[in-house]
Amino acid sequence: QLGHFFVDHPEDAFGSLGRLLHQNFYLGNSKLKVSLRHSTIRMTALMEEIDCLEARRGCPQQRQAPRLRWFSHLCRDWLYEVPLALLADCAHEELLLHWANLLFDDSPTGGALAWLPPEGTGARTGRLVYPGGQAMNHLYFQDVVLDELPRARGSPAQFELNGRIQQVAAARVDGEDFVGVRSDYHCGVWRVPGRTGLAPTPLQVIRTDVPASCLTVSPHLPGELAVCTQSGAVYLWNVEMGLQRLRHDPQTMFFRDDSPWRWSDFTAHPRVLSCADRTGLQCLDTRAPERCHFDLFKVGEEAGCQRGERVVLPLYLGRAHPSQHLVTTQFSVYVLDERLPMVPALKWAHMMKAPPLFAHLTPGGPGRSQKLLLGASRTQELLLLQYRGKSAHLGRFWAVLPSAGGSCSACQLAGPPQKLHSIAGCLQHLPAQLPHRHRLLQQRLGAPAAGLAAALLENGLRESLLVFQLSEAGDVFCQRLTHEAEQPPAPTSGDEATQPPAPTSGDEATQTPPSPAVPSPAAALRYRRWLKALSKGCGESPQHSWRPTLSQRRLFTRKDLETPPGPSTLHHEARQRLRQAMREGSCARRWDTAAPQPLPLEPPVTGADPLSARLTASWLGDWWQWWEERSSSGVARRQRALRERRRQQKR
Amino acid sequence: SSHEYKLNFRKSKEACLSYIQDAMLQKQWKRAAEFLTFYVESLEKDFSREPVTPSEIIWRIGTEILCRHSRSSMKEFNSFIEQMKTLRVKRYLKVCLEHAFHLLCNGLIDEAYQTLSLAESWRFGEQTTIQDKEMKLIQAYRGLLDYYSWSKQKNILLERGQDGFEDLSVEQEMHSCFRKAAVNLKEIIKVPGVWDQFVKCYVDLLEFYGDHNEAHQVLNEYAYNSKFPANPNAHVYLYEFLKRHGESKKSLVSALKILHDIVPSHELMIDFNTMLQKSKKRKKRQLGLEVIFAALDYAGWKENVKAWSCLARQVKQIVVSEKHLDWIKQEWNSRKDWWPAFHFSRYLAKRNWQENESLAYEKALVAGILLGKDGKYFKYVSHQGYKAQMKRFRILKKFVIKHNFVYLRISG
Repeated sequence: QLGHFFVDHPEDAFGSLGRLLHQNFYLGNSKLKVSLRHSTIRMTALMEEIDCLEARRGCPQQRQAPRLRWFSHLCRDWLYEVPLALLADCAHEELLLHWANLLFDDSPTGGALAWLPPEGTGARTGRLVYPGGQAMNHLYFQDVVLDELPRARGSPAQFELNGRIQQVAAARVDGEDFVGVRSDYHCGVWRVPGRTGLAPTPLQVIRTDVPASCLTVSPHLPGELAVCTQSGAVYLWNVEMGLQRLRHDPQTMFFRDDSPWRWSDFTAHPRVLSCADRTGLQCLDTRAPERCHFDLFKVGEEAGCQRGERVVLPLYLGRAHPSQHLVTTQFSVYVLDERLPMVPALKWAHMMKAPPLFAHLTPGGPGRSQKLLLGASRTQELLLLQYRGKSAHLGRFWAVLPSAGGSCSACQLAGPPQKLHSIAGCLQHLPAQLPHRHRLLQQRLGAPAAGLAAALLENGLRESLLVFQLSEAGDVFCQRLTHEAEQPPAPTSGDEATQPPAPTSGDEATQTPPSPAVPSPAAALRYRRWLKALSKGCGESPQHSWRPTLSQRRLFTRKDLETPPGPSTLHHEARQRLRQAMREGSCARRWDTAAPQPLPLEPPVTGADPLSARLTASWLGDWWQWWEERSSSGVARRQRALRERRRQQKR
Repeated sequence: SSHEYKLNFRKSKEACLSYIQDAMLQKQWKRAAEFLTFYVESLEKDFSREPVTPSEIIWRIGTEILCRHSRSSMKEFNSFIEQMKTLRVKRYLKVCLEHAFHLLCNGLIDEAYQTLSLAESWRFGEQTTIQDKEMKLIQAYRGLLDYYSWSKQKNILLERGQDGFEDLSVEQEMHSCFRKAAVNLKEIIKVPGVWDQFVKCYVDLLEFYGDHNEAHQVLNEYAYNSKFPANPNAHVYLYEFLKRHGESKKSLVSALKILHDIVPSHELMIDFNTMLQKSKKRKKRQLGLEVIFAALDYAGWKENVKAWSCLARQVKQIVVSEKHLDWIKQEWNSRKDWWPAFHFSRYLAKRNWQENESLAYEKALVAGILLGKDGKYFKYVSHQGYKAQMKRFRILKKFVIKHNFVYLRISG
């Protein structure tokens, strides 16, 4: 933000001085009159010169441009006169943002990877939707054949978007997949026909003023989505009917929390949406959003929450049971039934090191457990959790003291939760590398996870679950969990015993991950191929592009560039403050004593020195008026002084 | 220095804990157990003031490991839990309760009962409110076990009664079980909470001894006390109780009406609708239509043949009589912008026809009336029915065409 100050706020940076000096710039094409030449610059010539420079980019023969240098020299006195208060505010805002992001970045919530399962039984070709490219601004739809090793078929359908893709959400309605894509200021929706081979079609894009924090696709109605923005607004977005704003409330619902993060998802009733912020969830009827709502979950005593516990990701579990919802916090996961709100049907402390930002549900058939995958971003953790819910009948909730937060209920964990392999874990299975390559690989594999998806694969009696994981570097990894029938001697274990090798889907930068023991030979082969591609990609030294350069040496005199003899006490103090702030994890707000007094910005203080008064006036755009006043008040003052003197003389 | 020592100690403690968690999440119980023995050291210098103390962690993790480990025995488990009980006094009751649950899960009912009784007689200093609650829970669960042995003896008696025997000692024991159970169960359901299991058992006891008034009162209290969380089950129990005792239609309807307000998607709504449809009052029949429309709004009901046939029956009735078309119009108004896509798309017509013909039939009837004879759903299904030469689909088509004016009326 700071680096772009002049580009983002040109009015603030140059406006006032531009207004002061505009007489001295000439924008026309004709030659200047001789009389004006000494005080006026012809801008068109200057622009031509700059264009020439651009055209000569990459030419090693640098020709000096005296006119430009001369102009720079003229300007350097005032060009950097950025109002300090404004700059400080911007810097402060930016630092806060960076600091919060370092602690916990919630923008990829929901994950940017989606699996569109094959349509109809027996079909084996599904689609994987994920972002890629340098800026993660390309959207790929890749056909993937599910075999022993899933493999990419053909080249992916590709769309270039103008923003980093933060989230990809998908749902299937009436045999067609609807894919919602969220970047910071744009949300788009694609329709993907069920039959493979047909190209996905973009349907609509909306732009938001404030970054969007959530996009979910309705599992009930085609072309319907829910959008939330960081300003606290919740919208129902229908491709045909447009946007309907359901709520706009910058405040959080149950108690005060600073996070602008909002989320919304669908419920068992197609006209009722759930809305979440960090403090809890509410359900809203879209037909009368003001009147009809009820609380679904609240961080507090009812659910037995810990201190400081906050909602991280809600998910509608409609495919497992029409009225169940999942809520994850940084400590626990809850399963809620919207028919008996506020009292969780299941609670379990997940013990993950980073909050789970991604969740995926694979419904089990009748009598089978529901499989929930939880994923964290920074630590790449991946957890498989199985639970059973007495579906269909609302009944037999075990007695639980609501405040005791017990976990006996209609829902029940099936077997112990299981940790799956993280992306970084496959490093040890790769062939030995040269140290610098090894480091490169380590970096690449250690990139935070950006998404999670899973596909259920039924191969006769053998059932397996393919878990896809996307990293921020744009790689897609896959591991396979095979079902093992329950062993009689193990009385309470779940029905999905998992382990063996873990193969993958491949594409431009996509490969295979680790296995507990050894990766299968096929997986190892694919690793090797990926490694080759990776090292080739990295081996290309970035083409050095020549940019027009202006030497700074002559712009500043030697004296200007001289560093001050030693850190002053001021520096010392500031440094100490910074250090302290970092230790405490707080943010250092504008150091009160040390900073040079910022220019008084808003209220033009009467009686301030004439220069700042003048600058303020020109800042506000009424410089001419100021000048008038100034000159007239000057006349009046002189007259008064004259009269005074006369009176004194008379005495 | 001591500060550094504390810091290092904490660091290694955390590292150890993360190793344990890692091992547990990968089902390496043996490794986890080994690390846990090291972790026990952290108890010695427990400086932490975190919400979850190491002693609690050891209890939780130890229990988990002993439950899963293939070579652990009940004896080991019990001795571990006994140690845990004395580790922190404040947690004594909680550990006892979970111990009892574990014993129950393994079928050791008598041992569980003993554990609960022992816990009940435990006293230590002044009771906090949390301990008070936990004590109530322990008593309630003991009551539940008393109920269990009561019903066992009841079954013995009933069996013997058939054979003409009478057994005074069994009967006496049964009555004493009843008294013990009733006292404890009655206590817990006074506290606001979700007590479905306890309430059901208590009501069963009361009903057996003919105390219907008390049972009714308990259920009423459980359903209508505003301090309790809104619990649909409470209304279901009340309704079932009223039905069992042949109460008047009016009270049944009012019980179900409240259930409808809380959970419009409850499966009892079909019963409710049938009951209301039979009613002579116009208002009730209108409510019946409202109820079935509201139930079909929910995704879980999409393929419920019973519900669709209820709706089809009532709609047909209204259309034939040509009275109260405004009821349909009123319900349809708030749904006409999304029901066609939600229920009556061509894709669904195709699928319903393939998977469940009678569902397709009922839905086609409703679609034909609500969306006219040119609606996608009706058109597809009636065409398929025509091709398959099925008589009822021919009659359906005639009916819809004859009453096509209804569609014009309600959509106008």
